[in-house]
Amino acid sequence: MTASRLFELLIALLYLAGSITYPLGLLLRQSILKRLAIGMSVAAFALHSADLVLRFIELGTANLYHGQFYLNFLAWIFVLIFFVLWWRLKHDFLSMISAPLALILFSSSLAIRTQVLAVPKYFSALWFSLHVGAIFVSLALLAMAFGAGLAYLYFERKIKTKAKLPGFSQDLPSLETFDRANDWATRIGFPLYTISLLAGFLWASFTWKQAISWDPKELISIVIWFIFALLFHQRLALGWRGRKPAKTAIVLFVLSLISLVGVNFLLPTHHSFR
Amino acid sequence: MNQEIYLIGLNHKIAGVDIRERYALTSCDPQAINEVVRLDGVNEAMVLSTCNRVEFLVVANRQPDIPQQIRKFWAKLCNQPQKDLLDHTYSHENSQAVTHLFTVASSLDSMIVGEPQILGQLKTAYRQSLESGTAKVIINRMLHKAFSVAKRIRTETAIASSAVSISYAAVELARKIFTDLSNHRALLVGAGEMAELAATHLLTSGVRDLTVVNRTLTRANELAKQFGGRALPFEDLHQALLETDIVITSTGSPTAIITAKSMKEVLRKRRNKPIFFIDIAVPRDIDPDVNSLDNIYLYDIDDLKDVVEENLAGRQQEALKAKAIVDEEVTTFMRWRESLALQPTIVDLLGQGESIARRELRRSIRQLGPDPDPQMVAVLERLARSLSHKIYHEPINYLKRRAQEEGAAQHCIHTTRRIFNLDSDHIPVDAHWNRKK
Repeated sequence: MTASRLFELLIALLYLAGSITYPLGLLLRQSILKRLAIGMSVAAFALHSADLVLRFIELGTANLYHGQFYLNFLAWIFVLIFFVLWWRLKHDFLSMISAPLALILFSSSLAIRTQVLAVPKYFSALWFSLHVGAIFVSLALLAMAFGAGLAYLYFERKIKTKAKLPGFSQDLPSLETFDRANDWATRIGFPLYTISLLAGFLWASFTWKQAISWDPKELISIVIWFIFALLFHQRLALGWRGRKPAKTAIVLFVLSLISLVGVNFLLPTHHSFR
Repeated sequence: MNQEIYLIGLNHKIAGVDIRERYALTSCDPQAINEVVRLDGVNEAMVLSTCNRVEFLVVANRQPDIPQQIRKFWAKLCNQPQKDLLDHTYSHENSQAVTHLFTVASSLDSMIVGEPQILGQLKTAYRQSLESGTAKVIINRMLHKAFSVAKRIRTETAIASSAVSISYAAVELARKIFTDLSNHRALLVGAGEMAELAATHLLTSGVRDLTVVNRTLTRANELAKQFGGRALPFEDLHQALLETDIVITSTGSPTAIITAKSMKEVLRKRRNKPIFFIDIAVPRDIDPDVNSLDNIYLYDIDDLKDVVEENLAGRQQEALKAKAIVDEEVTTFMRWRESLALQPTIVDLLGQGESIARRELRRSIRQLGPDPDPQMVAVLERLARSLSHKIYHEPINYLKRRAQEEGAAQHCIHTTRRIFNLDSDHIPVDAHWNRKK
């Protein structure tokens, strides 16, 4: 047990080092530091993947009864989505957001390792994994859009008001690239979010014979879905770009965080991780 | 037989353009210029001549009238009186001359600090002096060092990292808005020298293509032909705004030709694809309110001037850092210069021999086992030391002999230092790939 504890500590430390080194490299304009940070993220991700595999070999589906497993898995998805966007956008700036989020989620998964989750008995693997998997990828995309949105709003203001751009902006991508991260989150994130909600309701109707039980998590998810739907529609049908989608993505991610932290940890519902 | 480095020259700070054009050497035959090496006491020479500066770099025997001789030679070369040169030239010696050369090479002495052309011009001047055989040991080393100092400053400071011309500033801003310029088209509305310059910069920076709109279609056609783009009549401006992302305006219109109201319509049709407007016309062609619309960025001539001025101020800041680097490198160079005498070289040679002997001795003693016979150790010590002395004996004798000869000493000492790598230089594998036979 101590060996696996050490292993997990190492992963957390790598995420921590990556979270500090990347912004440092950006501010000091040392590309070597940034490459080092990305290297640490890659190493952490590899170890993290191994950790998940070992966990499954050890516990199998019993994992699903531990709240900490979900956080651990979500952290892994965040980094995975960062790698996908790094490859697609040809820029690693989203490491700014992925490494710290992975760190927070992963270390909180370590902190709550003793709690056992009451997953309903009649559980259907297909609907359940669809529900959890889709929402996690969608959340990760929103997190990336959140980071890109903050950067967009900051630099857009600077360019609009003709203010002097800070030196490190030379190493950051253009407004167009920040906006593309938002486009990704909208185009892929919204359908996944919808699938997740549908899967959840279907599964609930199999399990509890009622699709919706009006717990706070479900309510806030529906609110998020409506805002997400608005963003999806405006972006695809009306060609929204730039500030408005950036702001919407920020709101969406903050709401999702509230829903994740507030509902899953603080309120006693069937979505609770406690 | 003491050799000194002299640098005599003029630049835009010390001499006005009337002086600079009279004493410029740009039209002179490089062979004739390098005749300077024939002057009494001069051993090596290199001459740099650009529109903003003329520099004579010579290595000569120590004699006080070298600067005077150079000025005389220079005035004769240009068929001009010598007296103007007295008031409008500077003359540096040794470490000051080296400092000046390094400062020039790293573009700290240029009219626009950080501009890159000067390094190329210096390289050309150096090549000419190599070809005419006037660059030898000291100038070779000095120029190689100057090039590496310039490179170091370029990478370690931000001296050349920001745009200092209006059109470059515009291109740089475009890069902050758009990821890949080759996916975007540019539009030129109206014609003017500055607008053409900006269009040229955009095209060389990889913009996909250029459309020209002008009141007189024939002029638009001319420009389009020049840039390999297409021309449209003025009535099609609205249409052109739908298809292009970077727009440069410079018409003579007394009122705005693009208003916020018309742009709202255009934006809707473009589905909010961003547009970057560069308005270089005075009076302005684009209503300033356009900038308040989302996804539109409007910079007028004053905005761009502000960007350029801020960048220039930033360069001055970086120049301070660069000067510290220059000072550091001058110290290293002067240390090498001093080592280029007979005595230090002999000391270095013997020192190297002794250190090799000591190292090998230690290794051999270790092979004798944990408890070596002291007598054996003493014999080995004597062997190592005398071997190292004997091996260096003949080269040192040779050096001493050649040092008596005029002109040969420097070269021999330099070669010896290179053969034994006494300066512990790092020598890249491709160090001599461009050497002539």
